[in-house]
Amino acid sequence: MSTDRIADPIQMEVFSNRLLAIAEDMGSILIRSSFSSNIKERRDCSTALFDARGRLITQADHIPIHLGAMIGAVEAMLARYRLEDMAPGDAFIANDPYLAGGSHLPDISIITPVHQDGKVRFFAGNIAHHADVGGKTPGSTSGTSRSIFEEGIRLPIIRIARAGAIDEDLLELIAHNTRDPEERLLDLRTQVGTNVRGGAMLVQLIERMGWPTVEQAIEDILTYTRRRLRNRVSALPDGVYRFERAMDDDGFPGDPVPIVCTATISGEDIAFDFAGSGPQARGAINLPDSALKASIYYCVKAVLDPGLMPNQGIIDPIKITAPAGTIVNPNAPAAVAGRAVTSNRLCGAVFGALYQALPAERVMASCNDSTSAVSVSGWHAGRQATYVYPESMGGGAGAFADRDGMDAVHVHTVNSTNLPAEALELEYPLLLDEYCLVPDSGGAGMRRGGMGMARQIRIREDNTTFSARSDAHVIPALGVFGGKSSSVTKIMRNPGTTEEEALHSKASGLTLMAGEVIRVETLGGGGYGEPAKRPLAAIAADLREEKITRAAAERDYGSDRVEAALALG
Amino acid sequence: MYRIGVDVGGTFTDFTLLEQESGDIHFFKTPSTPHDPSEAIENGLRAMLGELAFDAKNVVYLGHGTTVATNIVIERRGARTGLVTTKGFRDVLELGRQARPSIYDYRVEKPPVLIPRDRRVEVAERVGPDGEILHTLEEESLRAAVERLARTGVESIAVCFLHSYRRPEHEQRAKAVIAELLPDAYVTLSSEILPEFREFERMSTVAVNAFVGPKMGHYLRRFRNRVADVGVPVEPYTIHSNGGLMSIDTVYANPVRTCVSGPAAGVVGAAEIGRTAGLPNLITFDVGGTSTDVSLIHDATPLFTSARLVAGYPVKTPMLDIHVIGAGGGSIAAIDDAGSMKVGPRSAGAAPGPVAYGRGGTEPTITDANLCLGRLDANTLLGGRMQIDLDAARRVITDTIAGPLGISMEEAAHGIIQIANANMSRAIRSVSVEKGYDMNEFALCAFGGAGPLHAAEVAVECGLPRILLPREPGTLCARGMLLTDLSSDYVRSYFADCTLDNWAQVRALFEAMERDGQDWLDKEGVPHERRRFKRILDARYRGQNFEVKVDCDGIGADELDTLEERFHAAHVKEYGYDIRHRAIQFVSARLQAIGEVPKAPQARVDGGVSLDAAQTGSRPVYMDKAHGWVDTPIYWRSRLPNETAFSGPAIINEMSATTLILPGQNFHLDAWGNLIVRTAA
Repeated sequence: MSTDRIADPIQMEVFSNRLLAIAEDMGSILIRSSFSSNIKERRDCSTALFDARGRLITQADHIPIHLGAMIGAVEAMLARYRLEDMAPGDAFIANDPYLAGGSHLPDISIITPVHQDGKVRFFAGNIAHHADVGGKTPGSTSGTSRSIFEEGIRLPIIRIARAGAIDEDLLELIAHNTRDPEERLLDLRTQVGTNVRGGAMLVQLIERMGWPTVEQAIEDILTYTRRRLRNRVSALPDGVYRFERAMDDDGFPGDPVPIVCTATISGEDIAFDFAGSGPQARGAINLPDSALKASIYYCVKAVLDPGLMPNQGIIDPIKITAPAGTIVNPNAPAAVAGRAVTSNRLCGAVFGALYQALPAERVMASCNDSTSAVSVSGWHAGRQATYVYPESMGGGAGAFADRDGMDAVHVHTVNSTNLPAEALELEYPLLLDEYCLVPDSGGAGMRRGGMGMARQIRIREDNTTFSARSDAHVIPALGVFGGKSSSVTKIMRNPGTTEEEALHSKASGLTLMAGEVIRVETLGGGGYGEPAKRPLAAIAADLREEKITRAAAERDYGSDRVEAALALG
Repeated sequence: MYRIGVDVGGTFTDFTLLEQESGDIHFFKTPSTPHDPSEAIENGLRAMLGELAFDAKNVVYLGHGTTVATNIVIERRGARTGLVTTKGFRDVLELGRQARPSIYDYRVEKPPVLIPRDRRVEVAERVGPDGEILHTLEEESLRAAVERLARTGVESIAVCFLHSYRRPEHEQRAKAVIAELLPDAYVTLSSEILPEFREFERMSTVAVNAFVGPKMGHYLRRFRNRVADVGVPVEPYTIHSNGGLMSIDTVYANPVRTCVSGPAAGVVGAAEIGRTAGLPNLITFDVGGTSTDVSLIHDATPLFTSARLVAGYPVKTPMLDIHVIGAGGGSIAAIDDAGSMKVGPRSAGAAPGPVAYGRGGTEPTITDANLCLGRLDANTLLGGRMQIDLDAARRVITDTIAGPLGISMEEAAHGIIQIANANMSRAIRSVSVEKGYDMNEFALCAFGGAGPLHAAEVAVECGLPRILLPREPGTLCARGMLLTDLSSDYVRSYFADCTLDNWAQVRALFEAMERDGQDWLDKEGVPHERRRFKRILDARYRGQNFEVKVDCDGIGADELDTLEERFHAAHVKEYGYDIRHRAIQFVSARLQAIGEVPKAPQARVDGGVSLDAAQTGSRPVYMDKAHGWVDTPIYWRSRLPNETAFSGPAIINEMSATTLILPGQNFHLDAWGNLIVRTAA
């Protein structure tokens, strides 16, 4: 057990609630006052508070991967600017992975120093995913860009506001390097304003409690979190645990690219190393440093203790190393826009490594560890305007010892929602033919992996463009303790016709005519334990609910057991 | 003539009886009977009327709040239900919006689907987004689907076809075929219950309605019979989630609309009491045994929402926007392995309950802390009917909290309260900040068993300058039943640009819904002079995926300018800005039909003669570290003199609750018997 001492546990808990309330209030203000659907409806934004030393104190409304980019922006800011040169009302902006610790260009951070009694006491931070930041493709997340210069406007850490006034020239410059300047102007102003409100609440809190009490409570919060994580780590057997996952290819057709995680547990310390991972990708699926770190913090919290508070206390005990020039630590100017898939696959590797140190009943088989993003765009004759319809699809989750995997969910650092069929058809000249679970997609086992999903889109206007940023068309989710692997993802053009064609996971810029059909079927999750141990009643239920076909059941569980299951009625 | 409100809770069933002529109010409580909630209603009615020596035949109104539908969903013991849907879409119910319920914790799963896959059948038919028929309903496919369901033994069927909110014929045909092939089945059509776009939320709402429908029907029949047996000569009403009343027949067809029935009555009651008391802006704070409900009332109007999760299932009906926090009197305090004290989310609930109740509880709860600090009186809890073991509570707090932290028992107990208050305050702040309101303009309206005990400190923590405590705050939900009207909500999705022609279409939808509303009010027997209709339009700027509600009352056919102005203003109010040059889009038209119920005005209350006469004793109460134990006077609330200012500290008792007032806080009873506390000078 760790021996760090907390000075006042009650004050710490009360203070921690008050701080989280401020971070959450900032999140509410940001969402309420923003314009774009991405921030307002999909809530693709996060808020956080840092102390004057740049240590993360609390994060709210967390998109896990945002954590890393805000930490990166604060680090870059403190490296470039001195505290005494920051005036009340200043604010800083950043998005670049190589210049300012960002994770990809659409995620823009705003960091604001909070002064009280003439000193910087805190930094209020927020980050939001902007729908477009320029670059070669609408949405700025092309799967096929080959350098960051194709992905949009690059912002190092720079002042966006001075002494309470936004730098309007700079704001115009940024906004007009994107495809919807009005949206950028509104949302960036909202981001700056959100931190101003958060700062005022922080000053009130400091004045109510007194700075010495606040200072003590900050130390207590970090000590507590550090101690809690160290307790979790020291409960694990010391050892070196290695697990490998792989990307199908590096963004263009080719060989799989491994992601190798080696976790070393030694007493209360934990280290992750990624030596052995493949070279940096030609395509846009490189995982920059801050996204790598955020993915690992996510994994540690998810696997070891979902209740851990996101603050510097979980960062300190974790050591992370990755060789430069690999897909998980690329050199500038490698493209990174599609890092979400890589982040998920990396999480799969980290989960797999950590699970080796855990008892079997806490282990989950591999999840789909992927996400299939597609984009359909074209001319909307009714509105006389072009449209872009983005969608991202999850798949099955892994099975546990006591339950089948969750069906059709996003996993790890992705958790966005779908667009309802009716909203899709009202908004775009597209029809959804089918939206369903995919039978036989979950890996067989004592417990079956979760099922993947299918979405079949029918084109209603000629000259519609289709692009995909998908993966796991080759590499399935792995089973554990004898459980089987899942299916793999497929994207098909005109399935069930003579023109049926399987598309590459990064198919880009296909032109489709009215009546053509695209079908995406995503992979399931891995199974847990020997299929021979699957209860007959579970096999019977799967057959009755058509979650598995008879043929697959006989292959995985044997004809005799299928007969016996069916005899149960 | 008597008017009666009944609120069926998990532990107690509360009654409020109003004597219409004098305005006198009587309060009553009886233990709930969860196996058949109507039994407690009958018992309580008989006992209360007997005690008061009132004749049941003089009851002119009876309204009740019920958690029967919600409990059927929570306990998942509804009917064996089937789903009929469009070919290609039977899994929508299971796919949901594809987000997982907890980002970090894979052990938290989606709730099991209410209708399993083998009872979800598809029919060859397809309506397009403009209401056009893309594929004519294939009669054979429909009959085969219903026959397949029949073989699975379903008692209830949900029907939900794509875009049926725009064109319901295919669903109506399905209903006819089900009536022919499965005449005893309870049938719910999505185009009847929620004609609004976004198929998952609509399908989920229809599934919940179908799931609870048959059992709710059994309950409603028993309820109606028992009320009649007592001799009440009028048809009883039920309060639904938007705070309005419905007849038994309407509830039978729309049980999903009662999902927040009970809490809604408390909020409606608080709004009316606040309006009369001159405090129209309130944050309601209803603290129960396992959870706390919070809602916001602005300008005497509660905030509404159109969707929430009920036991994890999306339900989309107009309802009061009530936020539930997982902290109540039974929340457990514990120190974790890293040395921090947490309060909740684990709860000792009603069983085993707090340690002091001696019914098997072994971990300290918020109630135990309140007892140890002298804030709750060990002798008067539940009118002295409850045997309290104060020593056991002190022992457990000393052993599990104070000892390990090296602090005194009082500091530990007060720490439990402080942490609980900080948790609850965070939720209260988020409710108001999310909507852009300033706390300074609001009062905390505390009710429920434990709300008044925490209100003084929570109001300070949140920066709320005043507290409003209605009479008998423990039974406010029952009283709310006496302060509301009949109402029913209608909606039609209509996706179109804001033009004069399309506005004419919207007006036609309003008129069609108003005809439906008139028919409903006819059935409810509401005279014409008591009818009102509210027209609301969901609209947005082009490019947005979220809507704001625009009040359309009084906007004529050629007054598009007025409509646009109101939209911009609504957008400013909701989000703080407008974008005047952006095109506006219509999304859904909504209508609320209201039948006003005669209500007796809140009566003025004659207060007692003096503070001394109201004082029943005093005891030491632990306030905080600075004040320590303070000898605190105890008052019986109804004997306090009116309109006279007093200063805390004080403990104020009444039948259903105990109120704590901190040193330095000022308080008085207003003319209607409300207790008003000022937390700030």
